[in-house]
Amino acid sequence: MANEKVDAVIVGAGASGSVFAATLARAGKKVVLLETGPDWQLSDLVSSDFWGRRIKAAGAPFLLEGKNAFGYSYQSGWGVGGAALHYFANLPRLLPNDFKMKSEHGRGLDWPIAYQDLAPWYDRVAQDIGVSGDAKAEEIWRPAGKPYPMPPMKTFRHGEVWVKACESVGIRMVPAAVGMNSTEYKGRPACLYDGWCHVGCPTGALSNPLVTYLAEARKRGAEVRARSTVTRVLTNKDGTRVTGVEYFDEKKRKQVQPASVVVLAAWAGQNPRILLNSASERHPKGLGNKNGLVGKYMMCHFASGTWALFDEDMQNHMGTTGAQFMSYDRYAKTSHKGAFGSTFIVAGTALKTSDLAGFANARLDLFGPELHGFMKRAARGLTRLNAFGEELPNAENRVELASEKDELGLPLGRLVHSYDSDATAVWNANFEEGLRVAKAAGAQESWSARGAMPTIHLMGGTIMGTSAANSVVDSYGRSHELPNLYVAGPGIFASAGASNPTYTIFALSLRGAERLAAKWV
Amino acid sequence: MNRRRQFIRGAGLGALAFSVGGASVLLTAREARAQGVPYRTLKGSEAEAIEALGETLVPGARAAGIAHFIDHQVSVPPEEALLEARILNVRPPYLNFYRAALGALERASQAQHGRGFAQLSNGEQRELVSLMRQNKLEGWQGPPAGFVYFVLRSDAVDVVYGTEEGYKDLGIPYMAHIAPLKRW
Repeated sequence: MANEKVDAVIVGAGASGSVFAATLARAGKKVVLLETGPDWQLSDLVSSDFWGRRIKAAGAPFLLEGKNAFGYSYQSGWGVGGAALHYFANLPRLLPNDFKMKSEHGRGLDWPIAYQDLAPWYDRVAQDIGVSGDAKAEEIWRPAGKPYPMPPMKTFRHGEVWVKACESVGIRMVPAAVGMNSTEYKGRPACLYDGWCHVGCPTGALSNPLVTYLAEARKRGAEVRARSTVTRVLTNKDGTRVTGVEYFDEKKRKQVQPASVVVLAAWAGQNPRILLNSASERHPKGLGNKNGLVGKYMMCHFASGTWALFDEDMQNHMGTTGAQFMSYDRYAKTSHKGAFGSTFIVAGTALKTSDLAGFANARLDLFGPELHGFMKRAARGLTRLNAFGEELPNAENRVELASEKDELGLPLGRLVHSYDSDATAVWNANFEEGLRVAKAAGAQESWSARGAMPTIHLMGGTIMGTSAANSVVDSYGRSHELPNLYVAGPGIFASAGASNPTYTIFALSLRGAERLAAKWV
Repeated sequence: MNRRRQFIRGAGLGALAFSVGGASVLLTAREARAQGVPYRTLKGSEAEAIEALGETLVPGARAAGIAHFIDHQVSVPPEEALLEARILNVRPPYLNFYRAALGALERASQAQHGRGFAQLSNGEQRELVSLMRQNKLEGWQGPPAGFVYFVLRSDAVDVVYGTEEGYKDLGIPYMAHIAPLKRW
């Protein structure tokens, strides 16, 4: 079943797809977004850790292999809004040193652009979605830019307690840049600070796509087709241009959506899966994959959390799931002796009881009456410092197709992931420093949140670079091989940095989408 | 004006649609247990083991209806499931995981004590769970023992501490934007 041809079909209605949709619709293009999950509304975002799981991973699973199997499901999205429907809205940006790691250190990969190429887009996004923070304060680590449109968020004791303690070990904290409203902004209300961001904010105070770019896209005529699962990108006979996508609709009927441009914005794991499954006579290894790089260089972050228990009311049920304070003082790649990679530090996360990040998991060794005793103490006195570390790009970390297929006949994706010794060294160094900070903060008890090494923020798989010899797409997300095929999202990052990726996703997508609109292919 | 109130719809956390006498009735897992609502999927012995394990992990989990909660959640399509297993990369159908986990637990209990887990004394249950947590149960066959501990502990935490009632017990304001609806 073929549909009417449109200017652009966008696969995925999450952070990056929403930006492309809004930008192209604003340019007068006819846009269709195909989203595999449900069409969530703000009223579906129930304040409950149980209910919050509805907007996370569903559908065909990825097969997980490697020394550090990638636990993607906590952070993935399911439905319109994607993972950004439940993101914490921490919006740190990458720093200049992220873009030139290979040039400066002979490690990892360079980006084909510099920080200054992206900086104006960070500033634009801040105005578009509403960012609260103190841009001036961040200038101790990055070039000056425009101020954020809103002042920093309100702070609480469980965040404030870390500030002086961090300073005592040379870590300067500044107000966290967050995509939340400290004041009313563009008709959206100010935050209520009740800490349910991680299950989706229904008030509009947090900048999820439903109230920002996707809302604009819809207003400008973009059509969202939920429960539409794309399996292949189609090409012309010569294999020189893409012509649209094949997908299964909500009744599992196979359809074709012809389009002048295809934007893959599904997910860092899913985009390579679709490209690899789009193999044809002209593209036997999959679309855009003559160099064999599709699916390679999957990357993530890892967190070194430090728990600190105080014998006072830390107001830890108040605030946001994101951070109150942040620091780049360990962001230099060689910050820790004997380790390589950046660290980004945050403090002041509102705590809930259950779910993966709930404080019941702060002491996984406890059960029975001992757990209950801990819960009573932690309910008021617990807080956490988190240090996020950077994993270097490694081609062995990859997505590939498995022989097993899903219900639509699409091969399952296999995600192979292992950390190297640098990542482990950064992880350990951050734990050690975290304990020193907690001691300086005067905590009655403190301990490291050690367990299996976590895997956070999946990136890579369709990396950007200077040419088809070293990458899948250019800095705008355009395929080196097919001029009207774009890939969007964290999959195009050439390295991971240590900052939460969504701000960079928005900025790169806006840059890529405006370029596409201006130089239509 | 408290803006939060604008968003509150429905009331009461954890109401699930249970089948009672052929009719669909909205009950919390705690209420379903108290009313003896029949299990949809779990066998009686499985539910008994879940209750015993849940109570060992988190006091109050039995009365909070952990078995009815899990029974309900493994009976709905995976896309609708609200289990922590969903965000721990457990591959659906989730019933497979729970059956494999409970089977491993029962075999371990029989091997150590000659009785099923639910028939052990409280002390024996604690000892076995402690070994399970540390992956120290010899001959364990099933999903990794430490992972089973983690998932079932999470379920027990959910039903005891993840509810409005649980927050109240800990003295923490729940502060919902949108209180959970009476439809699951």
